Amino acid sequence: MNDEDQNPRRDVAAGDISDSRHRTSVDQNSPSTPPSTPKIDAHLHVFAKASTEFPRQVSDHLPAEREAPVELFLERMQTHGIDGAVLVQIGGTSFEHHAYLLRCLREYPDRFLGIGLVPPDCDDPGAHIDRLADASDGRIIGMRLGTLGGPADPFEAVDVRGLPIHRIWEHAAKKDYVIWLYPRAVDAHVVPHLFEAFPQVRVVFNHLMVCPGPKFWWDDKGRPQADVPMPPETRYSTMGLKIGRILNNTRGHYPYPNVCVMLSGHYAFSKQPYPYADLDGWQQSLLMVFGCERLMWASDFPWIDTDPGYGELVALPGHTFPDLSSEERTQLMGRTAARFLRFPALCDKTGWLTPP
Amino acid sequence: MSSPTSDQWRQWRDEGVLSLPGAIGGQSLRDLQHAFDTAAAPARPEWLEAVAAGTRPAAFFDIPTPLAADPMFLDLVDHRGWYGHLQAFTEGRVTFIKTQFRTVPPSPLSYVGWHFDVPRSNPLHLKVQIYLDDVSHDEGAFAYVPGSHLQDSGPYPLVAQLDAMPGHRVCEGDAGTAILFNSYGLHTSMVNRSRRTRRSIILIYEVGTAATFDPDDFAAFADRCTTAERRQLFRLEPRPEPDTVSA
Repeated sequence: MNDEDQNPRRDVAAGDISDSRHRTSVDQNSPSTPPSTPKIDAHLHVFAKASTEFPRQVSDHLPAEREAPVELFLERMQTHGIDGAVLVQIGGTSFEHHAYLLRCLREYPDRFLGIGLVPPDCDDPGAHIDRLADASDGRIIGMRLGTLGGPADPFEAVDVRGLPIHRIWEHAAKKDYVIWLYPRAVDAHVVPHLFEAFPQVRVVFNHLMVCPGPKFWWDDKGRPQADVPMPPETRYSTMGLKIGRILNNTRGHYPYPNVCVMLSGHYAFSKQPYPYADLDGWQQSLLMVFGCERLMWASDFPWIDTDPGYGELVALPGHTFPDLSSEERTQLMGRTAARFLRFPALCDKTGWLTPP
Repeated sequence: MSSPTSDQWRQWRDEGVLSLPGAIGGQSLRDLQHAFDTAAAPARPEWLEAVAAGTRPAAFFDIPTPLAADPMFLDLVDHRGWYGHLQAFTEGRVTFIKTQFRTVPPSPLSYVGWHFDVPRSNPLHLKVQIYLDDVSHDEGAFAYVPGSHLQDSGPYPLVAQLDAMPGHRVCEGDAGTAILFNSYGLHTSMVNRSRRTRRSIILIYEVGTAATFDPDDFAAFADRCTTAERRQLFRLEPRPEPDTVSA
């Protein structure tokens, strides 16, 4: 395969869905006719109790006996009409730690896509992610990154080629993997350098484009919490547009067309209970800058399963954006994810995946 | 004291922006650059900690409480290089709101897009940006859309790239250049694609009104405000109403 073949350089805005790697026949797990308005949960975690079959790291917040089984999530999907979802690896970065994720992807190939993790000390991250992709029959479509490893001092020049994660981005560009981005605050200023260097890489900015600082903890409901000011101060590095007391003053569109933002993680950043009204202003700014064609709704299951509950998460965009058109709501709740991430089972020959 | 030429009056009225090259220069500029760096240095470690914590922006560094950092900084507010212009453009009613002593590191993304600062319902709001470095097009230069301050201007498109804004003007300039602009108009900081930081000082003013009168804001500098003009400029005393002046 030559470089041209390995580096498709698709522009998502062009709606290119010609990636045969992700095309599969529809099986018993998928609807016989793909829904014209698919609902996709763009980010969640499932995990089993730690076992020999499904080894994973354990910690205070993820003890060996804790589980969030895929069957429970499938119940939530059934109840709330969710057609597909992105399962994001948790519980370790090694290939073996991905055992449960791989099992879920194999068992429900037309419901789920997956995002893997790369060990920080991995000698060959490209081979690692290729192995995950192969083991999942192409359903692990990318990797989640937190630490970028740039200079902590924003005054220092950023040499993208010298970043420890450069190889991962380079490999993503070569093999058309998606970067699932959740950078730390200290790396926020590095982000646009990577977007600039790899415009062909599809990126999903996690959790409201927040880049949290080191203050993480778990609350008594088993949910991760992050102490960050909202709107995030890191927005000056990552979004770069004026926001503030004059909403219509957010005057511009995002300059990097292959970047989408996930609307999720509210419970971790909000200082208020559901529906997290203190985050409305920031989300309105994201809507103005990205539009629903580049925003994805996600639940971050299982952390929200008790408080506020999965159904409340499904309803959340209706509270935050009461004035969305039907088309915008459709995009936000799944069509953007289906198109951008190329959900195989949610693609039909009528071309609904192409942007309107 | 500076005074606008007829051409500068026209620019101010029609375009809302004008550059004053060499508004501060020579030894005064060198002293200012040195004082800026001296004031910045001790504040940088705390800023870096805050950046890592996500509580301060990495996209720019502002010297905290700069007017207290060096006596020369306060004198910038009514510096003869631009203050005459401000008095003229506000019909003698200019008051000082605040300042930003800002350093912008290189980045492919500007920290701020095209925006205006205040709605036109706000009293006339003006800024002076003084470059402390030579600033070319791709080094984080200030840019403005001439005429966008006018009531009947626009509409203006939402753009993804800053330089796609129709009719904009990038204000390049040597260190010591001061740029005056009407904050009703669309402006931005262009991308700093260089490998060096860009230092500038932004002084923010507004036509004095009862709403902005606050003798507490600059009370700490009252001992340096020994004339009525300065006391009114720093809002220690209210500006007399126009009819009072004419009377």
